[in-house]
Amino acid sequence: MTSPGDAAPVRPPPSLSPGVARGASKTRYADEHESTSLDADLAESQVASSPTPSLGATADLPIRSASPHSHSVRSSATPQLARSSLGSPFDVRFDSSEDVRTLIIRSFSPTIAIYASEDTDELVKNKGFQGGFWELIRPFGETISGKVVIRDSIGSSHAWEDYGVHFVDLKGFGRTPAGRDSPSAQMEEVLEKQLDSADSSLGGAGRPRDILGLPATTSLSKLFLRQLLSTMPEAPHETFRHPVASVIAISSRNPAPLETLRQLYADSSSGDRRLPDWVNQEYLRYYVLVHDEERDDITESSKLYDQMKRHFGLHCHLLRLRSSQCVVTDDDSVQVPQCEWLSPSERLSGVGKAGKSSDHKTLVDLGTDGTPYVFESDATAIRIFVRELVAQSVIPFMENRVAVWNDQVASRRRGISGRFMSMSRRWAGFGSSSRSGITGSSGGGGNYDSTHQFYRPEAPEAILRKLADFAFMLRDWKLSASTYEIIRSDFGNDKAWKYHAGAHEMCALSMLLNPMAMSAKIKLDSIDQMFETACYSYLTRCSDGTHALRCLSLAVELLKSRGGSATESAARWAMRVMDFGLAGSVAQILFMERIAACYATKTPAGGARWGSRHRKAGMWSLLAADQWLKVGKPTLASACLEEAERMYAPVLANDGVFPMPEMQTFVDNLRHTVKVEYLEARGLNTRDEPAAADPLGTEETSEKLDKRNHRRSLIGLPAQLDAGVLNMTQGPRDLEQPPNDDFERA
Amino acid sequence: MSYYFTILSPTDVPLFNIAFGTSKGGGDGIARFRFPDTAQYMNQFIIHSSLDILEEAQWTNGGMYLKHIDTYPPAAAYITAFLTPSGARFLLLHQPPQLPASSSGTGSGLGSSSLLGTAGSTTRASSSSVAANPTSPQTEEAVRQFMNEVYESYVKTAMSPFYKQGMEIRSPVFRTRVTAAGKKWL
Repeated sequence: MTSPGDAAPVRPPPSLSPGVARGASKTRYADEHESTSLDADLAESQVASSPTPSLGATADLPIRSASPHSHSVRSSATPQLARSSLGSPFDVRFDSSEDVRTLIIRSFSPTIAIYASEDTDELVKNKGFQGGFWELIRPFGETISGKVVIRDSIGSSHAWEDYGVHFVDLKGFGRTPAGRDSPSAQMEEVLEKQLDSADSSLGGAGRPRDILGLPATTSLSKLFLRQLLSTMPEAPHETFRHPVASVIAISSRNPAPLETLRQLYADSSSGDRRLPDWVNQEYLRYYVLVHDEERDDITESSKLYDQMKRHFGLHCHLLRLRSSQCVVTDDDSVQVPQCEWLSPSERLSGVGKAGKSSDHKTLVDLGTDGTPYVFESDATAIRIFVRELVAQSVIPFMENRVAVWNDQVASRRRGISGRFMSMSRRWAGFGSSSRSGITGSSGGGGNYDSTHQFYRPEAPEAILRKLADFAFMLRDWKLSASTYEIIRSDFGNDKAWKYHAGAHEMCALSMLLNPMAMSAKIKLDSIDQMFETACYSYLTRCSDGTHALRCLSLAVELLKSRGGSATESAARWAMRVMDFGLAGSVAQILFMERIAACYATKTPAGGARWGSRHRKAGMWSLLAADQWLKVGKPTLASACLEEAERMYAPVLANDGVFPMPEMQTFVDNLRHTVKVEYLEARGLNTRDEPAAADPLGTEETSEKLDKRNHRRSLIGLPAQLDAGVLNMTQGPRDLEQPPNDDFERA
Repeated sequence: MSYYFTILSPTDVPLFNIAFGTSKGGGDGIARFRFPDTAQYMNQFIIHSSLDILEEAQWTNGGMYLKHIDTYPPAAAYITAFLTPSGARFLLLHQPPQLPASSSGTGSGLGSSSLLGTAGSTTRASSSSVAANPTSPQTEEAVRQFMNEVYESYVKTAMSPFYKQGMEIRSPVFRTRVTAAGKKWL
């Protein structure tokens, strides 16, 4: 299946001048480092989730600012966020809920460990990847080109466009450096960084992002979710981060290739690179020969590769790379894709992203703008390699394991006799007497090692969990749900609380993800119950806040995407998250927004007038706006405020006037403060207001302002006219309008 | 327990508002909500948002007294509703007293946790007294009696020749009667 001739035609002959175009200046790109990556993240999710509103917003601003006489368009909280004409919020939301679902599915993808020999890492380092072979191929694993066909347990095939794998470094596996902060604190830091970067770009006029106020928040919550999903460390109780396969790589520079391969294999299976005890050691080994196109002879490598195939069978690949570094100015340079699943600590330390600070610049005096470049031939070769690895080795291996385990372990537990067996185990009265004798002394738990808190990988419970996780990663949610269902009570009996929590969590998630069950009415109650149990086990019994947070966030998103009455329980879970204080302060506000979004998706049943949750959605949006304001993010606050107005519009009979006086005062104050701070943040000099307002023929003048309690903050603003020039014509006018007007617009 | 009682017109305009505390078990009848004084608007927000549920519940429940219809978990606020034939709605927000120990629950979150109140789960611990458990049948019964009594006074007030449908109820007599009913039942 893998012959060197297979992939040969796509590779152009290697360049004979490795040092070409080294003259590109690094200073030219240096200052763009930071912004590009953050932009990319933002832009990527925007493009993915909501093309409509961003289009709407971009199209809207120039028109509005160009025509100051657009009095008829009733102003919203901030000028440029009004996009009443384009893009209903509901479309966006439904789009993005599908998107969030995909995000969740993709985050649970198989993990493949990389173990490369010294010489391979050396070769890749020459190409500008300091992390070695792993860093080079990691971004390419996240989306596999083309469809990946997976057969489920019944035998029907499914083609997935968006399959991916996580590559991890075997050397770092299970040895996660003790972070300075807890994951949630790091996540908080990432969120704040993202917010600040969005803010700083707001300062300068004309940046494309400052007109995308609303999508910024949705992308923030997506960023949060992504962070949360990629923050999970390797743990005994779930096998998603345990390697399914390991890639052992050598290069053609190696003097003793086969011996090295053997050595690497021995290292990883019994030597000092051996994985922790709780990892099942029976994972697939895949051997890769990296051929240096520029220095070594292909015939030699082919010969070696044939030898490898004879020794190791089919799981081999010959990867042909050029060893010289690629720079932007090269003809066939392509940018290495962004890593999607960076953990918060990596994001903070700037791994895999632009501006890789000092060491990058000193070691490599080349003008790449942060993200490294590779030759197109290299990129193609790596893509083909990854595709072959996944589609021809990893997936069949996993399918095979699932079938075997399902046959040998799970089926014994499924039938009537299996029930008896688990019962007999529980009461330790009859059957399996040998085991019950021992367990009595070891204090509960048959196969559970309660001192080290894990199951041996060959214990049936561990195998069943692995089977379920494999099925989950292969997206066979029916099988995974039924398997989790079998084991979840076992873990409870063994008092393996983390396993217990994990099994309940994943069982509920697989039920929610199963598209078959989407149509059938599955009992939401039982799902709620499972989340409840999972969260209790995580929090109270294991005090593991991060897993509990992940569990509940996924519950919120998936329940929300189901629609109907599930959205209300989604909102309830989101409130629970806030209640438990699991999230940091920015994340807390994001959860408020999620609650609003949950309520907003609840639509009236059967065309009836009742059944929607507009008031609740509006209330949570307003509360979120208030909180954004408190943390000093007027842009986000105004986005929330506008959302709230849209929500309240259908339920307020009297043109946006709240019937209740105290509510009205609160909303008025909020609206006003948001406006003032927003304009302030944009560097608008509000003292010029009368001059700007008069030519426009605004009838109200400054005495109106004197009544407002924030008059003080209007005085003494920095006179940064340059930034505000564009908006000055409309900004003051909006400030002048009585706040009540805002609600008329639907 | 602290209570916030509102009568809403069919167009959601508040006709009557009163806040009071429990008089049972040595209570002094003064409302102590969990929100700081600057955030008293939250009561109205919660009541207003529960109209969503009320609109749904009034079609699925046959009685005039709809019992407990909605909860606002962050502040442990429970809403009970009563419908009148003219379309006016009686809404009662009740909030169990805050336990001193419970205040540490959400303090770590954001500065606003005071605004959101504190964890609702803690209230279950103090369910020994009838009034402290807002969902118990005894409480529902007590609220029913209260609602019925208020309804009687409301009908009498609405029949007054000086009262027009949809006007705010300013009658001091009505207010004392509601207060008395609150003292009696809640």
